Amino acid sequence: MRSRDGNLNFSLSICTVISLLFSSQTLKADEYLISYRYVVKDATLYNETLQIAKAMQKCVGEPQTELILENDGANDLKKIIAENSDEFIDAIHKLGLHVEHNERTENLQNSSTTILTLQTTCFKVDFNDNSVRIAPLK
Amino acid sequence: MQYSLLLAALLSASSLMADDIVQAENTGLSEPTKNITVVCPECTKVAPMQEQADSEQVLSAEKDILINVTGQGVAPMDTSSPAQAYALAKRAAVADAYRLIAEKVKGVRIDGQDLIKNMMVKRSTVRTSVNAMVRNANVVETTFKEGLCEVEMEILISHSQFAQ
Repeated sequence: MRSRDGNLNFSLSICTVISLLFSSQTLKADEYLISYRYVVKDATLYNETLQIAKAMQKCVGEPQTELILENDGANDLKKIIAENSDEFIDAIHKLGLHVEHNERTENLQNSSTTILTLQTTCFKVDFNDNSVRIAPLK
Repeated sequence: MQYSLLLAALLSASSLMADDIVQAENTGLSEPTKNITVVCPECTKVAPMQEQADSEQVLSAEKDILINVTGQGVAPMDTSSPAQAYALAKRAAVADAYRLIAEKVKGVRIDGQDLIKNMMVKRSTVRTSVNAMVRNANVVETTFKEGLCEVEMEILISHSQFAQ
């Protein structure tokens, strides 16, 4: 009769292979808080701010439509987003922005300010070898 | 008897005529001014505007509404390259398009103030403001010509989005 530890080496090797495979596919999954705001004054872009911070406590919600960005193995989300800013900002626009517009016409002279804001939203971020998956939590 | 009836009829007719004259005097209008006809070119536009209001789309459960807007933006003066100018102008144009969508869907608040001193307008101010949340708007076309960027955007409004 085979002992209980008869397959230990085999099991360990299988586990190692699986863990290596898994770790190479997904390095880690984190949650980030991201907010975005930009100001347009008199039809000219005046200020644009993208705030990214790692969440300090677990977010509540289910991942929504994810965005996949290219990654060269880095774990720095700010750097990855900076390299793919257009794509990321397009995705943010799709999520929905709050529009606040104020216009003033004094003695027939017009001036206007438009502020578009993405309120602070939690994103689940999966860092892979060649890509990063970013999904908002709702 | 017949004469008395005729007299009564004449008296009532004359009293009616007298009332008309008194009313005309009270309003300060002489007889010729009452016959003036005012030609107002703007008044002819009332009917088409009414027709436009009648043909305006109303959101219903059966039919979605597609809203199409074109936002405009210009690049700042101190850009380091044409590409940067384009990117910044496009961002401004998108914000303008979002604002136009918000105006169409949610409406505009308008406040006006005129300061009149010694029978003259010293200051005339009109303030407008829009506050809305815009989601799922799509860019259809972008053009950039002579520093002006135009972004055409569309949004599909369905009844289910508002039925809460």
